[in-house]
Amino acid sequence: MTLNKRFLAVPALILLGLLFLLPLVVTFSNSLMSEAEIIQNYTAKPDTFDLTDGIIERFKRFRLIPERVTLKQYYEVLLKQPSFMILMGNSLKIVIPVTIGSLIVSMLTAYGFTVWEWKYKEILFQVYVIVMLMPLQAVLVPNYIIADMLHIKDSYLAIILPGIFSPFGVFLMRQAMKSVPAAYFEAARIDGAGNLYIFLHIIVPQLKSSGAALCMLVFIEYWNLVEQAVVFIRDYAKEPLSVYLSRIAEGKMGLVFAASCIYMFLPLWFLVAGQKNLEKGIELSGVKQ
Amino acid sequence: MNKIKKHSAVLFLLPGLLGFTVFYILPFFISLGYAFTDKAVNGTFQGMKNFVDLFHNKAYLKGLFNTCKFIAVSVPLNMGAALGLSLMAKGIKKRKDLFTLVFLIPLVIPSGSMAFFWSSLFADQGVLNGWLNMLGIGKVRWLDSGTAFWIMVLIFTWKNLGYSMVLYIDGLNRIPHDYYEAAWIDGAGAGDIFRGIILPLLQPASILVLIMSLINSFKVFKEIYMITGGYPHDSIYTLQHFMNNMFASLNYPKLTTATAVLVTVMTVFSQFLLKLERKASS
Repeated sequence: MTLNKRFLAVPALILLGLLFLLPLVVTFSNSLMSEAEIIQNYTAKPDTFDLTDGIIERFKRFRLIPERVTLKQYYEVLLKQPSFMILMGNSLKIVIPVTIGSLIVSMLTAYGFTVWEWKYKEILFQVYVIVMLMPLQAVLVPNYIIADMLHIKDSYLAIILPGIFSPFGVFLMRQAMKSVPAAYFEAARIDGAGNLYIFLHIIVPQLKSSGAALCMLVFIEYWNLVEQAVVFIRDYAKEPLSVYLSRIAEGKMGLVFAASCIYMFLPLWFLVAGQKNLEKGIELSGVKQ
Repeated sequence: MNKIKKHSAVLFLLPGLLGFTVFYILPFFISLGYAFTDKAVNGTFQGMKNFVDLFHNKAYLKGLFNTCKFIAVSVPLNMGAALGLSLMAKGIKKRKDLFTLVFLIPLVIPSGSMAFFWSSLFADQGVLNGWLNMLGIGKVRWLDSGTAFWIMVLIFTWKNLGYSMVLYIDGLNRIPHDYYEAAWIDGAGAGDIFRGIILPLLQPASILVLIMSLINSFKVFKEIYMITGGYPHDSIYTLQHFMNNMFASLNYPKLTTATAVLVTVMTVFSQFLLKLERKASS
């Protein structure tokens, strides 16, 4: 490889990477500031002092290093205001059942689609794909109608159940199952293995990394859920924390950044742990083939 | 005996299919009734009038146009950039995981913080205008002019590049190493390898990235809505804004009509996607 190209590419990539990290860095540094400093940085109206100093126009500022580092926000969020922890608990109550449920349902359904032989199977699968492609705004009315009919409108079930049966997981798992060589199925079947045996002992171990990827994606999606919760959850105390954080502009700016950082920790940890799993899974399947 | 086993596979499908029918298909057909009535409550049947009206609705047409334009610009951009970065990531020897992680981080930042960051950056009195001011350049109304469209593209790319990269890196890892070596030995250049080996063998991954980018292109609405609200500048008023506003004002007939049209479009489009997919994997 030519050296010149590398000398140019590396700084360009580092710059691009920093650009990607900037929102994270800004959120983190804001979480170490006092409320007064945050308000000063993000208020664009000139105050009396500015006017006497001859400053007529003020702009918002990103400060990467706080004037004075303080852990007050974290102290408030973690120890003094239990409401944050309650809201985070609400998030968990939604995200855990959806993640586990959709993993199980998606794997089973995808296996059914892979093995079952039926003339109209592909048409049925196309219906899954169509629903998968629809934007959330198009699915909200049907979601609302069925929640109303089943009397689960004001409960988490109105969000959890459609989440579990969402077509996305089925699609992803079926794609993943295509990479399992057909010979595996045949060999097991000749040995007299039933579908349940094949599913549990051949498919599930082969799809560990794809399953982990699905869990990661579903977790991230529902951890950051806003719209469905706004529609279905009317009680403020039952809201997931993501909804609270989305109202960042109104009022308590001083605590939101620390809460965001704490909230980010779990998916970030999943991402780091899951990424290793992802690469391992790929290497393993490469060796076996 | 074998036949029973083959048909027992349907048992795996049934629970999922039942839930899918109850929570998606059934309520969709119930809601479809709204598309042919004038009001959500006690409406009277009025045939195809809603569909005719929809295609004369300026807000709907604007949203439709902007959504199509956004997909046409941002999806290929995202795919191209992700492929480029994945090829680079493959070339990196040390800390490859760190490299991809950087691009995945936008996925985990809470939407609220993300919206706060972008709106602080692009507001009229925002950070970017502050920098321009220091350079002696006048204010740019980033979110209230045509530039808003490109900001939407930027936010989408920023959020989804990592996602697409992971899919591409996975696809690249599935290409056996011998293929490259054989090509090198035969004297093929980097361009030849890219066109002759990487692109064709990467097709299944590309289709997956295409589908995911499309789905995620609809999801950018969440952040855009937080930044600019329900009635943003004309250039970023999308189909989702229209549908969201109809939902908020409880105008179910209009919303359901728009959904029915979208389902028709997606039926044709999914046919095309699945055909492409079958061709690529065979």
